[in-house]
Amino acid sequence: MSTEASAQTARPSFLSAILRNPLAGVFIALLAIFVISCLISPYFLTSYNMSVIARGLAFVGIMTIAQSALMILGELDLSLGTIGGLSGVISGMLMVQAGVDPWISIVLALVLGLLLGLLNGFLVTALGLHSLVLTIGMAGVYGGAILVLTKGVAITGIPASIHFLGRGDAFGVPVPFIVMVVVLLIALFLTLKTPMGRYMYAIGNNAAAARMLGIRVNRIRLMIFALAGMLSALAGVLMVARLGTAQPSIGQAWVLAPIAAAVIGGVATTGGVGSPLGGIFGAAIIAIIENIIVLFGVSPYWQGVVSGVIVVLAISFDALSRRYIRRDSH
Amino acid sequence: MAYLEARGLGRDFPGVTALNGVDLSVELGRTHILAGENGAGKSTLVRILTGTDRASRGDLLIDGKDPLTDPALFRTIAYVPQELSLFPDVTVAENLFMPFARSGHAGLVNRKKMEAEAQIYLDRFGIRARPSDLVRHIPVPDQQLLQIARASTNKEMKVLILDEPTSALTASEVDRVFRVIRDFLASGHAIVFISHKMEEVFGIGDDYTVLRNGEKVDAGRIADIDEPALIRAMSGRDVRIDEHFRPASAVSDVIMQVDGLTGQGFADASFTLRRGEILGFAGLVGAGRSELMQTIFGFRRAKSGQVTVEGKAWKLNDPAASVQAGMLYLSEERKHHGIFPLLSLRENIGLSVLSLTSGKAGINAGRERGIVAKVIEDYGIRAAGQGQKIATLSGGNQQKAIIGRAMATTPRILVFDEPTKGIDIRTKAEIYRIMKTLAEEGVGIILISSEMTELRRCASRIITMHSGTITGDYDAATTNSETLVGAIFGSDMPAAAVNAAAGTSSDAETPHVH
Repeated sequence: MSTEASAQTARPSFLSAILRNPLAGVFIALLAIFVISCLISPYFLTSYNMSVIARGLAFVGIMTIAQSALMILGELDLSLGTIGGLSGVISGMLMVQAGVDPWISIVLALVLGLLLGLLNGFLVTALGLHSLVLTIGMAGVYGGAILVLTKGVAITGIPASIHFLGRGDAFGVPVPFIVMVVVLLIALFLTLKTPMGRYMYAIGNNAAAARMLGIRVNRIRLMIFALAGMLSALAGVLMVARLGTAQPSIGQAWVLAPIAAAVIGGVATTGGVGSPLGGIFGAAIIAIIENIIVLFGVSPYWQGVVSGVIVVLAISFDALSRRYIRRDSH
Repeated sequence: MAYLEARGLGRDFPGVTALNGVDLSVELGRTHILAGENGAGKSTLVRILTGTDRASRGDLLIDGKDPLTDPALFRTIAYVPQELSLFPDVTVAENLFMPFARSGHAGLVNRKKMEAEAQIYLDRFGIRARPSDLVRHIPVPDQQLLQIARASTNKEMKVLILDEPTSALTASEVDRVFRVIRDFLASGHAIVFISHKMEEVFGIGDDYTVLRNGEKVDAGRIADIDEPALIRAMSGRDVRIDEHFRPASAVSDVIMQVDGLTGQGFADASFTLRRGEILGFAGLVGAGRSELMQTIFGFRRAKSGQVTVEGKAWKLNDPAASVQAGMLYLSEERKHHGIFPLLSLRENIGLSVLSLTSGKAGINAGRERGIVAKVIEDYGIRAAGQGQKIATLSGGNQQKAIIGRAMATTPRILVFDEPTKGIDIRTKAEIYRIMKTLAEEGVGIILISSEMTELRRCASRIITMHSGTITGDYDAATTNSETLVGAIFGSDMPAAAVNAAAGTSSDAETPHVH
């Protein structure tokens, strides 16, 4: 019996192996939306439009990677958007008002994001608070700090030497998009190939069992909160570079969109499953939908409704296809 | 005409046929024993009988009708799972009657009426709780009884399926369950009873069906079969559970010394663990044995006292340090403390050997697959492949995966907390053999068990605990069961109760089959 048990069953065919992959559903949905967009609008598949989409996707994409990592752990951080905004604003103040070298300002802003994320993680682990509730409060604190520092006025005069980080292209690809891809590759290596990544999934599945196995659960939580804070700061300073001003409103759109993108991409809010790549697929779906709505000249009043309906259709498609695949894999 | 009738049921999953050509015929007024080892297909069959899964082949008839065309028929089949599945922060009464429509409490919630009716059930089942208590606050055995009571509040119920209903119960509580079962039979219900405990099978059974590897291998009347024959049918060969699995090695130096340790659920515990022995811990559910071990392991906070391992002070309150120092604790709660349900078998086992499989380039998938394949082979884990989600394996295979995962790390001290709970006889024997071998190799083994037979079979020395205090330390070979049971119940226990408990928990369970 034991030999029969360990015997591998016949390798599934390449196609069914791809279909079994949990990312298959969202990837097919992404492809479908892409193809439909190409068919219904002649302006969609142009190099200019593609670069617009890629540049827009980059910011939400980086935030989605940060939020996905926390969601895999079974946590959520609703203050990431304001951490990005606050770090961006402070980098602008350092560059413009304090005359600090722009590159050093960026590094300091990233360190600030790391520390703010770490603070969130510390409050969650040391006090045993629920991350969702805690970070709603912290979002108020960080968002308030932005207004206190800026009095609601944008900081203009960001040195032109760093504008390329947000506006520039390298090899015809927007620089922020390249940054996002690098972040994604690092995140994929971390989640797929390192013990730390395995521990993240284990903690998200069953934190008590992870502790019993000798995994330092709280240490990993702290690290991921800190990394997520740093990534948010990265998105923040890239946005400052893109706008050429440090706007107090940076980050306001980065609260719910990354969570929606991650969920569309198969990262469960309950933890333990999903991949940052799925989150990026989800973010791309949202980015294309928002783009096509603009291309079609949908009234701005209707844009929210239309994009919401298409997102719901996309996740329904994913859920249905998953059910179909599961029919034979139970 | 049988009330519940299955003919040629089959269920396929990719790579595994979980059920094939299974017939079952359950008659009202009788207890039907569903026997089989872990992974034989009992759970799959139960899922089909209760309508939570669908057969790939075959027919199912309830009261002569096809439930797939009339799903309301499934409501007459009540199922009590092995694991507790109550709502912990809801009152006893509400737990009993949920869903309200089926128990005659539809409409607005009427607490007074509900609690009055709940009291009837609590009395009938002898559950020590008030209707208004939160389930979280009542003892585990009473939760198990409450779970059975809950199934019986379903007014449409005709067939009650009990999956290992007695795993947390003492002998007198088991008697209570049996009395309730007999009441059900008298009122025209049918019982399907799943248990690995032979004395229960022969005590309450009328008919039986044996499953092995997803197929029906035998069926008939309990009166026409004896224990050895039933075990042979389940395992497909003769299983010999030897008289004892006590390590044969000489007991030598002290591995672990615990001095005056106090924590939540136990106080002032002192004992020593020596090389070459299996140290058993006996006691009732809630006596503080698990709490003591979890505190030494660092999972729970110690209030005072100290632990020395091989002459060095042991770091408390830090499970990660304990694992690094070579101590592992295998919890009795597989679901809560053992498995990572959404991860695959490979990832579940691989988690504990990441230091062996990962280098600068990350985790080496090939090396990991190799180690995991060896664990699967060594421990006879039945799975469709390494990629199968662990939650879809049978309980016994999950347990073997958890033990295999622990072994892959070469531990120095290993605590087995109820390692054979819900495990079939053959797998039990395998686990006993593993413990014996490890002890003989010099690994310190602590065995917590509520089965006196198991302790007497495996342990070299038995420490008894009663409500948080160590009450005795006995040589297993020379102490009789009565003395041990007396120590478990505390010295002020009336002799009658002691004897009643000793009656079923001593050497009644199938020591040898040839």
